Amino acid sequence: MTGAPVPEPGGSPDTPAGAPGTSPVASLKPARPRWRETLGLLARNPTAAVASVVLLLIVVVAVFDDTFAPEGANEISVTDRLQSPSWAHPFGTDDLGRDILSRVILGASVSLKVGFLAVGFALVAGTMIGLLAGYYGKWVDDVLMRFMDMLFAFPAVLLAIAVLAVRGPGSGNTALAIGIVYTPIFARVTRASVLGVREEVYVRASRSVGASDWRILTRHILPNAAPPIIVQTSISLAFAVLAEAALSFLGLGTQPPNPSWGLMLAEGRGYIELAWWLAFFPGMAIFLTVLCFNLLGDGLRDALDPRQRTLMAGGGK
Amino acid sequence: MGARSGAPRGSEPASAVTAGTAPVLEVEDLRVRLRTPRGPADVVNGLSYTVGPGETVAVVGESGSGKSVSVLALLGLLPARVATVTGRAVLQGEDLLTMKPERLRQVRGPGAGMVFQDPMTSLNPVLTVGRQLVEGIRAHGDVSKEAARSRAADLLGEVGLPDPKGALDRYPHELSGGMRQRVVIAIALSNSPALLIADEATTALDVTVQAQIIDLIENLQADRGTGVIWITHDLGVVAGIADRVLVMYGGRCVEDGTVDDVLERPAHPYTRGLLGALPDLARPAVDGVVPDLATVPGTPPAPTDLPEGCVFWPRCPVRGDARCEHEQPPLVQIQGLDRHFGPSGLPHRAATWCTEPTSDTGLPASGTGSTALGGDR
Amino acid sequence: MFALVHLVPGDPVRLALGTRFSQESYDALRERSGLDQPLVEQFFGWAGRALTGDLGVSFRSGETVTSQIAERLPATLTLAFASILVALLIAIPLGTVSALRPRSVIDRVATVISQFGISVPDFWMGIVLILVFAGTLGWLPSGGYVPISEDPGAWFSRLLMPALVTGVVSGSVITRFVRSSVLEALGSDHVRTAQAKGLPTRQVFTWHVLRNALLPLVTVTGVQLAYLLSGVVVVEIVFSWPGLGQLALQAVQARDYPVLQGAILLFALVFLVINLVVDLLYTAIDPRIRR
Repeated sequence: MTGAPVPEPGGSPDTPAGAPGTSPVASLKPARPRWRETLGLLARNPTAAVASVVLLLIVVVAVFDDTFAPEGANEISVTDRLQSPSWAHPFGTDDLGRDILSRVILGASVSLKVGFLAVGFALVAGTMIGLLAGYYGKWVDDVLMRFMDMLFAFPAVLLAIAVLAVRGPGSGNTALAIGIVYTPIFARVTRASVLGVREEVYVRASRSVGASDWRILTRHILPNAAPPIIVQTSISLAFAVLAEAALSFLGLGTQPPNPSWGLMLAEGRGYIELAWWLAFFPGMAIFLTVLCFNLLGDGLRDALDPRQRTLMAGGGK
Repeated sequence: MGARSGAPRGSEPASAVTAGTAPVLEVEDLRVRLRTPRGPADVVNGLSYTVGPGETVAVVGESGSGKSVSVLALLGLLPARVATVTGRAVLQGEDLLTMKPERLRQVRGPGAGMVFQDPMTSLNPVLTVGRQLVEGIRAHGDVSKEAARSRAADLLGEVGLPDPKGALDRYPHELSGGMRQRVVIAIALSNSPALLIADEATTALDVTVQAQIIDLIENLQADRGTGVIWITHDLGVVAGIADRVLVMYGGRCVEDGTVDDVLERPAHPYTRGLLGALPDLARPAVDGVVPDLATVPGTPPAPTDLPEGCVFWPRCPVRGDARCEHEQPPLVQIQGLDRHFGPSGLPHRAATWCTEPTSDTGLPASGTGSTALGGDR
Repeated sequence: MFALVHLVPGDPVRLALGTRFSQESYDALRERSGLDQPLVEQFFGWAGRALTGDLGVSFRSGETVTSQIAERLPATLTLAFASILVALLIAIPLGTVSALRPRSVIDRVATVISQFGISVPDFWMGIVLILVFAGTLGWLPSGGYVPISEDPGAWFSRLLMPALVTGVVSGSVITRFVRSSVLEALGSDHVRTAQAKGLPTRQVFTWHVLRNALLPLVTVTGVQLAYLLSGVVVVEIVFSWPGLGQLALQAVQARDYPVLQGAILLFALVFLVINLVVDLLYTAIDPRIRR
């Protein structure tokens, strides 16, 4: 049974399964894994735990980028051009004498902002579409999912490029472009989970006692669809950061002189044999961030996997 | 123990419940411990029994009682990474548990064949029925492809498949569930095993097909003198086919004996609960008919956390003694309960502190239809 | 099918609306390319001509779109198939080995490798490879494409790095699929039946595990191939590889939308053809799908 962690501190509004004296509808519900148990499982997975900590660091650095960056992003210093890494400039300086460490830190905030915006868009739009398509079925499903399929069939990079070509380059549009690209994935994941639980006894039971569609969707179906969506969110963040870098690298994303990892890579590419650090450190930053999001996604998948949970509970067979 | 079995396969008269002849299989103190993320789980805890040639031993219990694991362990079919198996299991004079992997492979098939629960999944969907039979036959002897194929067709005929030759080229999905299970049985029998293990072999089938499959195995057993371990949670099946019964609970044998002894004069509170012999446990009998479905309230203990004393203690309706809670009852011969030994003179044993005799209120030894425990399907 | 084709001209039209051409050149272009006509008419005109193999003329170079695509196609095909080869060479052994020993050291190493491959930005990996092999070591040329018919040696040496980069990325994705499908096959009941009848381990593995794990592998390889045939723009740029991705990017940047239309039509076709091939392969290896 698909279980769902409900990240609400006050406890789920629904009585946990198996508790005596609950309404028949509630007691028909499959056991929901508790949020704390999921966190516990995640913490026991060393890779995912380390990835979460590193991600937290990256996010903190990105949020307080001004505090952490030793210099401004665009402090040009002709005398300090193309200096190799040293104590003064741990990541070296670029062709305009700008401190690369500072730019990597400031770039983190740009990359993450775009990433979170993009995934936020895809998450909201995709989940809504998936819920509607899965729950109402019939022509709603046909129309929505056909449209999603068309988007999905498109090569992702080209779709993003096309969106940017229409809307013009820039961070906001990059986020929108990436968001549109990932919307179908969230729609599919959500729809699949909805179809999985739509005909479950407890859903039919609550429908039979006259619960509204909205209530059924938010109270019964969404929580059960949550685990795959959560996993998908983490993984999509990884790819959004990667896609932002790629689009900026192509000159379509974040525009100079703003620091963006992809843009820095593109700028550093010309100096690769002269000054490797120009391209190396922004690349490492992308790599590390993407890796952590992926590892976290994997860890979440394992922690939320109902089969694994059963194995832990039962151990038999 | 360790008697070199001289009994040639298939030579024993099937009807005899053999007390004196060398057993086909002798299991002694079998223990299985599985490594789980929640710590070690003791799934099978000291199981001992024998299966004689032509004899059918039924192993009954709820799901999670360790019955399936106990037979998978015999043939080394549990993943070695997670399972630690100890004890002895002597099949025709050789200990299966200490065998070299290659020898064990040779024994699977000619030594023991196995039929699994779900015929929908126990055949490979992408290979033809013929192929799956032929590869089994050719794995145990230098047989040409053609010879193996004709052997396979014979086997399919023997298990009652219409058009055996044509069936060779069919894929599993083209056959019905009952037909597939016949194919699985044919595969299990293809190397004339001394022992046939049927693990819930009829559970997934509907009732009429179930009866056909049971008849089929009984007939084949009569022809070949194969020893059979029949794992089930269906007491109706047990009454119909078994010579002896072993009741498993929490990975332990809580009662064993002849089918008459155990079903008619159950000694262990658990067995009685299963049989609906305890009035406060089961629904009352109506017009002298034993209720169709007897259930024991509660759930079996988690194998990671077995009770200290009697395994059944937490669910036991007649417990009381502090001894039940803290001391494990040994599996011993029942005194005074049976007014006479079973027709075979075989012992009737139970592991319980509670030995007060009860009246004969069990099931009749046969023909009660389906008496299912709550459990796997 | 119709839906896909219908989508194709939609995007370029919107593209054109977003341009910042001067009014005169814009009008001239509109007239020359029939953009002043109603959208539906345009679509049918274009679709009709496309059916006869006429995809129009590039705004930018004046060449026909078909000739431009034909010029780029060999490079794209070469890179895509080389990459998928690299990917499978990585994925099948790595995925299988780690599935056979789940949670072992080998499995963890394989998981880390595939995680790295999925997470590494391909263009950055390309740049680093160029730095090491073309720059510091000087073993390989840093980019470009030479047809195999001209100079097989040069063809190979230029193909090596881009194929490695895209192959590692795709291979990492496929590795995870191979691992999970082998794991799933390993855990299935029919494997236990096969073991129980005393088959040698190798035979169980080949015919009851790998044979069954092949099915999902075909699908994921198809998806990756479709992606490789259309989506490796960035790597093409890094290695100056004259493929279709570059062509499409240039078309976007120059608002050269007959070329973009043509390229997108081609990608849609590729997608359909690969789906068809995957379906056919499935029918061949999975008897349940026949009839």
